[in-house]
Amino acid sequence: MTAPAAARVDARVLENASAGGASLRLRLEVGEGWPASEPGQFAMLSPGALPAAPRFDPLLPRPMAVFRREGAALEVLYKVTGRGTALLAAARPGERVRVVGPLGHGFPLPPPGARAVLVGGGTGIASLYDLAARAARRGPVAALLGARRAGELMAEDAFRALGIEVRIATDDGSAGRRGLATDLLADALAEGPAEVYACGPTPMMRAAAALAAAAGRRCLLSLENRMACGFGVCLGCAVPRAGEGYALVCREGPVFEAAALRADGLP
Amino acid sequence: MTPAEVDLSVELAGVRLRNPVLAASGTFGYGVEFEPFFDLRRLGGFVAKSLTLEPRHGNPPPRIAEVAAGMLNAISLENVGVDAFVREKLPRVPEGVPVVASVFGTEVELYAEVCKRLTGVPKVAALELNASCPHVKSGGIEFGQDPRVLASLVRAARAATSLPLLVKLSPNVTDVAEMARVCEGEGADGISLINAVQALDVDPETRRPVLWNGLGGLSGPAILPIALRMVWQCARAVKLPICGIGGIASAADAVKFLLVGASAVQVGTANYLNPLAAVEVVDGLAAYCARHGVPRVADLRGALEPPRT
Repeated sequence: MTAPAAARVDARVLENASAGGASLRLRLEVGEGWPASEPGQFAMLSPGALPAAPRFDPLLPRPMAVFRREGAALEVLYKVTGRGTALLAAARPGERVRVVGPLGHGFPLPPPGARAVLVGGGTGIASLYDLAARAARRGPVAALLGARRAGELMAEDAFRALGIEVRIATDDGSAGRRGLATDLLADALAEGPAEVYACGPTPMMRAAAALAAAAGRRCLLSLENRMACGFGVCLGCAVPRAGEGYALVCREGPVFEAAALRADGLP
Repeated sequence: MTPAEVDLSVELAGVRLRNPVLAASGTFGYGVEFEPFFDLRRLGGFVAKSLTLEPRHGNPPPRIAEVAAGMLNAISLENVGVDAFVREKLPRVPEGVPVVASVFGTEVELYAEVCKRLTGVPKVAALELNASCPHVKSGGIEFGQDPRVLASLVRAARAATSLPLLVKLSPNVTDVAEMARVCEGEGADGISLINAVQALDVDPETRRPVLWNGLGGLSGPAILPIALRMVWQCARAVKLPICGIGGIASAADAVKFLLVGASAVQVGTANYLNPLAAVEVVDGLAAYCARHGVPRVADLRGALEPPRT
């Protein structure tokens, strides 16, 4: 597998602010020369790790999905879930964040004219936006977005602005239908053929893969995993294949055919 | 003196290197993974991922854990196997990049066979024995933890290859200098140290070890002072050239290892955080030498001043 173009830049923070609810939007100036990304690719971000002031705790960069690219700017959506994202949230405009990317292999676009059904849960929604934008130029797209409650739903407005069909499910029914994003998927699959794309919590992806398989539809999963490097050398992000051995989420993924992986081995 | 005027070249175990900075085994893949980021010829060389006779799949996840100023790993030497390395990986390494092949096995004979297959292969400039493998016949103790087992390993590897032979020492010993003397006595051309420090992390919520394997190897800035102490001890015990390894993330870190007696250094875990870490160490070394009026980086070797009294 060939290594896609990737670069390391110390990017200036342009904006790092609330994107509604618990979501934060980080805009980084990566420069016009930063390699173009495929939908579903990611970058490794190290806030505060600069030659002038090295920081070794937390040591490792954090993998973040590319939400979108606009000219010289790279946008990432995230929530504070631990030490790494807390540090990221503290990065002020003008400060630098080390960015290595774009990394990994993203989503293959649906065949022209085919219907794409995107299932996103939690922060996994951020991985699907660029795919939704590009797939919408080729055929019908439905984005099925799930969250625990209305305030935690990520990027709903951005998806709606694409003019695609957006369906919402929340655990408590505070927005859209009460239930899971995969409940929406069951309905969408009953409506006709679709290419299924999913990114979110492991139980959600497992359920999405099972529903798609039962309907005889191709299903692509975008995985999150802990990793030290992001480009295939630490071997820390291995997940078991459906057959023998392991696949690296960073290099072979983060997007996989659901059938290529062991459902009980998803990270 | 400008940084460009500094002579960065060094000799390590009979191999001439354009500078004393190599990338450490297990942190640099087979080299090609770094080609998107920089020209590999800017490094002194790199030590490839440890090779076994047969391909290995490695451990189930979780394989890594983040700890204070470091990380644990328990990958268990996943690799493509020596023959696939020679056939598929080496041809993709550009000419002019010294490749040190790291060799690993569960028995002495397996190490020796891998050494034999790498001897005479173009681009392989030297071998580095990874002595941190559990030795099956000794009930799982690392080759590098028992002087007699280590001696048998180095002897067998020495007999199997004419290539310059480095031995990477385990830090998980009481007296690392004793191990260095064993290597010298058995005809090794140099030693590399340290490998990862055996360590454990536990999840208080689940009450289980964080890693699938339980124990892992600690690497990163946290181990630098331990590594520095061990290199210092070995440099006083043997005449063998030493490649210093352990938590190096900057030129200042590299200088410390040269001062206590290392001829060259390897950048390891820092490659994960910053794929340009090793070349930044090269540039920083030239700047350091220029600033201190040192015309040749080799002059830093062992130039440690005594402690203030």
